[in-house]
Amino acid sequence: MWPFIARCLEVATIFLLAGIGELLDQRSGVLNVGIEGLMLFGAASGFITALRTGSLLVGFIVGAALGAVFGFLHGLFSITLKVDQVVSAMGIWIFAMGFVTFWMDKYSGPLRIPSPRIGGLLSPMFFFAVVLVLVVWFILSKTHIGLKIRSVGEDPSVAEATGINVVKIRYLCVIIGGLLGGLAGAFMCITYLGLWSHIPTQGMGWIALALVLFSMWRPPILLAGALIFGVIWQFGIAPETLIPGFGLPLGVCRMFPFIATIIVLAVISTPRFRRKWGLAKPAALGQPYIKE
Amino acid sequence: MKLPKLKLERVLVVTGRDAVKISVLSIIIAFVVFSAFILFEGANPIDVYKCVFSYAFDPKTGLPTMIHRSTLLLFATLAFILPLKAGLWNVGMEGQLYLGTVGAFAVAYAYGDLPSTILIPLMLISAGIFGAVYGAFAGFLRGKFGVNEIVITLMLNNIAFWLLHALIMPPTGPWRGIAESQSRPLPVSAWAPTIWRLPFTVVLAPAISILLFFLFEKTRIGFQIKALGSSQPAAEHAGINPAKIAIFVMAVGGAIAGLSAYHMWAGDPSFRLIPRPDAYKGIGELTYWGIMVGLICLLNPLAAIPLSIFVGSLREGGTVIVRRYGLTYGLDRVFLGILFLSFIALQFFYRYKIVRKKKA
Repeated sequence: MWPFIARCLEVATIFLLAGIGELLDQRSGVLNVGIEGLMLFGAASGFITALRTGSLLVGFIVGAALGAVFGFLHGLFSITLKVDQVVSAMGIWIFAMGFVTFWMDKYSGPLRIPSPRIGGLLSPMFFFAVVLVLVVWFILSKTHIGLKIRSVGEDPSVAEATGINVVKIRYLCVIIGGLLGGLAGAFMCITYLGLWSHIPTQGMGWIALALVLFSMWRPPILLAGALIFGVIWQFGIAPETLIPGFGLPLGVCRMFPFIATIIVLAVISTPRFRRKWGLAKPAALGQPYIKE
Repeated sequence: MKLPKLKLERVLVVTGRDAVKISVLSIIIAFVVFSAFILFEGANPIDVYKCVFSYAFDPKTGLPTMIHRSTLLLFATLAFILPLKAGLWNVGMEGQLYLGTVGAFAVAYAYGDLPSTILIPLMLISAGIFGAVYGAFAGFLRGKFGVNEIVITLMLNNIAFWLLHALIMPPTGPWRGIAESQSRPLPVSAWAPTIWRLPFTVVLAPAISILLFFLFEKTRIGFQIKALGSSQPAAEHAGINPAKIAIFVMAVGGAIAGLSAYHMWAGDPSFRLIPRPDAYKGIGELTYWGIMVGLICLLNPLAAIPLSIFVGSLREGGTVIVRRYGLTYGLDRVFLGILFLSFIALQFFYRYKIVRKKKA
């Protein structure tokens, strides 16, 4: 039972790290749907670094750094070159799928370096992720810089008029978002899976993106969503650890997290739900900022 | 020497010719950047290009498979283009392909003793309907509730992947075959009739291209789709129902991607069954390049035909350079990735142009 819960929390860690980065991105008005691509780059570079150097910490750092590089590239395309944000992020994701296959599939196999786990069960990264969510929540809602980020996401031209450097704030957010996406990928590959296989993310980045939409751009709800989906994901992988003799085939169980995502997104999008809860969607989300 | 002073100027309307120039330029840049990449890997780029294309276009070696895969890519591209004309991102071609597979194989297994002339049309119709329903579901959620269709179609892709997995994997999969992790083979009457080593479906995809072209240019609904894609408030003001159009484009897009399932599995003599999960996933991943082809050909269904062949020949020719030059597997994907990124970077010129500053 305890190992199962620990694995759930580790999956939640992946969703949290990737999700909180994406939330920060979106609060500043930049939509990055290619979060799965950032995770793939983080996973690939983190895995190969850990394999070569034998140090997990260096693996995490390199994974996060490469994630930040591709976050920056998304910023370069969508902020400076003013390309459609969906086109840019799609390109980075598809580039990642192709490049990572070329780069890493020859190293497919286990890492063979055990990750440190508290009590032999849970990686300390979980607590780091939870603290990070609280920090981002505090920054966004209580500090001056958080106010700047939110105003850039709501109306960049008004923000600019009040003396905020829109470009700088947006770059800051996409780079931090990319960094956390890369870290999420590295953590997934090094600690959670402990191996490389073809496209190891298996849709996790897309669930993280869906969680951000589900959270209505509020970090505490993201935390709750990540925990719930961590349980659903892990249950889909190993249902018999929770319910011995669970009869459904593996393929059906693995569908659960994706079906749950669709249901949740459909429910929060109904007019009734919106009237009651309201969606704090950043008004300028997805629009390039063009100075006239 | 005095350098001319340059400055940026806003472009208000992108002419068709400029847009084509940008697409062509991105292909040239990809070739240049990739050549540097090959040099870095320790081979002569010109030899590699020659090898790739001569293999892919040689009727004795790669041509039949190249055209087969290019046609699959064309199906995927068309399934992507139609919804995006209305402003919807259909990235669910992979899932629609798998669902089409379920539709086609269910008919083939149930009515395997029917003659080919009845069974094959039935399989095609079933594959199209399964794909259409899958696409329409995402279109419905988007049109009625405004749910982000990118996330939904991606979730549907993963669901469909595991659905096929559940159908063919032992011990419980109802379609499991004798061979490990594969489905039962298709009955002989379901095999696609071939003309010159190619299945008849290679004609189907270009025919759909032409139909889509006429849909966009000549019909009322095509006009409505384009109006919705350029501005939703304006389209609503003109009395267009966005939800209806969203369901329509996603259903037709899904049907096109669903049809490709028959083409893929019944049209290639080396399959005629559902292969192992990693093998059908590999085919499913090919459909994502349809996104790139659709964007580079500027959502023009006719331009998608040559561009699909170009990408297909790179993919097919890419398999031979692995063997002949000892280069790493998957190098062709790197080329396509570079092409995609250079195309995105050049989109800057949709909004700006660099002009020489005039003297004051």
